[in-house]
Amino acid sequence: MAVDKEELKQKILEFATKKAAHKSKMYIKDLYKADPNASPREVKKAANELVKEGKLEYFSSGSTVMYGVPGFGKGVEEAFEEE
Amino acid sequence: MADVKKHDTPMVDDLKSGPWPSFADDIEQKGLNGKQACLDLLGQLELSYKHKETHWKHGGIVGVFGYGGGVIGRYSDSPEQFPAIAHFHTVRVNQPASKFYTSAFLRKLCEIWDHRGSGMTNFHGSTGDMVLLGTTTDQLEPIFFDLTHQMGADLGGSGSNLRTPSCCVGKARCEWACIDTQDICYNLTMTYQDELHRPAFPYKFKFKVSGCPNDCVAAIARSDCAIIGTWRDDIRIDQEAVKAYVGGELKPNAGAHSDRDWGPFDIQKEVIDLCPANCMWMEDGELKIDNRECTRCMHCINVMPEALRPGTDTGATILVGAKAPILEGAQLATLAIPFIKLNKDDDYENLKDFVDKCWDWWMEEGKNRERFGELIQRQSLQEFIRRAELKPIPQMVKEPRSNPYVFWSEDEVPGGWKRDVKEFRARHAA
Ligand code: SF4
Ligand code: SF4
Repeated sequence: MAVDKEELKQKILEFATKKAAHKSKMYIKDLYKADPNASPREVKKAANELVKEGKLEYFSSGSTVMYGVPGFGKGVEEAFEEE
Repeated sequence: MADVKKHDTPMVDDLKSGPWPSFADDIEQKGLNGKQACLDLLGQLELSYKHKETHWKHGGIVGVFGYGGGVIGRYSDSPEQFPAIAHFHTVRVNQPASKFYTSAFLRKLCEIWDHRGSGMTNFHGSTGDMVLLGTTTDQLEPIFFDLTHQMGADLGGSGSNLRTPSCCVGKARCEWACIDTQDICYNLTMTYQDELHRPAFPYKFKFKVSGCPNDCVAAIARSDCAIIGTWRDDIRIDQEAVKAYVGGELKPNAGAHSDRDWGPFDIQKEVIDLCPANCMWMEDGELKIDNRECTRCMHCINVMPEALRPGTDTGATILVGAKAPILEGAQLATLAIPFIKLNKDDDYENLKDFVDKCWDWWMEEGKNRERFGELIQRQSLQEFIRRAELKPIPQMVKEPRSNPYVFWSEDEVPGGWKRDVKEFRARHAA
């Protein structure tokens, strides 16, 4: 069953913000937990839209991409120091 | 504008003394012609040789606005010493199918890159992209604008995205191509734009398309989904040409290896005895092939290209799960579909159906940083076959069953696990 996209985005954002307090970078897999009813594809689409809107941000290690919440943890430019 | 070398690099310089052209020479030339980044790069390389550890930090930024891939962030960890490479990001640019360029395209690309980057490139990365090495964060958007607006080019994949699909030269130049590799590659690239530009998966995913089993893009070793052209009818034989090879009028391997005299061509020794399926023989001066046994290895066709040609009922073999050794060891691909017809007119629907099923499974079950092949290893080939809704073939059986019990799954049993006990007891006393 398809879930409402805006609702899903809201859930992902809340989930990520809560999580960001102790772990600032998340895998897409972690975001699946925001709504167990949503399919991985729906979560991926919603998360990518949130990035476009500037509410989430990408962080890349070069080989994998993670998601972060702007303002939490290190900024994108300095975050490589976590590697 | 000429530059001077600020760093002493004896160990790097030593690389120039070998018999082959060295990257150290090329990079230094570029540096002396005005790209300080190139000289700093060699300086940092010397330092890495000295310390025996890298001085790059990587990660962070992923791309340009709206993209979650295509740019790999790199930073020097000694920016005071090497200020010109404090930022040294890599930009991946999606190569055209089969890597056909006009010289005008390449010239323009070099101009853009000389203007906005280090001028250093890598043609091509192992996934197939044109790789532009070394630029700063503020140049990324202008580079992307120039690439898209002036060149009609796009960024390639990186991170947990679909990586840039690549293909062999195929029907553009090669008579052995059984499928239109360029069209398939382009079609997959356009269909999966979202997956290519934004992270979608637990880890990277690569498509490679080869026109025939010679597999010139090494799809079988290097892609999560290998699409390899093949045929299911008989190898076409021109017996006259076979005789011409035997008689020495035609050169084997189209004259390759002719720098040495290998003696007269011996069809028995050089073709028939080397057939891995042992399915060829000579009969009354004619070459015979038991096509049912042929594994389409291409050996005989490679040796006698004028006498033997692939059949005409062509399609592709699909293999999955190859990868280089990062987490687990290196892995060759596993055969998933022995033969599939690929049809331009239905937009390769059957292939994409299969791909979507694989991705659904991997997105659900794959662990972080687990490649598709590793998921098959972890959850079993059987599970893969089930999720991809494939028909198992005998070759997929690793060994005969040693356990006498059959573990049925619920949907294989009429009525499932639920049964009416009363109805059962009516027939069987307790
Ligand atoms: S893989 Fe086959 S079709 Fe493609 S270029 Fe190589 S020999 Fe030709
Ligand atoms: S293609 Fe390979 S397996 Fe088939 S007949 Fe030729 S040598 Fe034998």
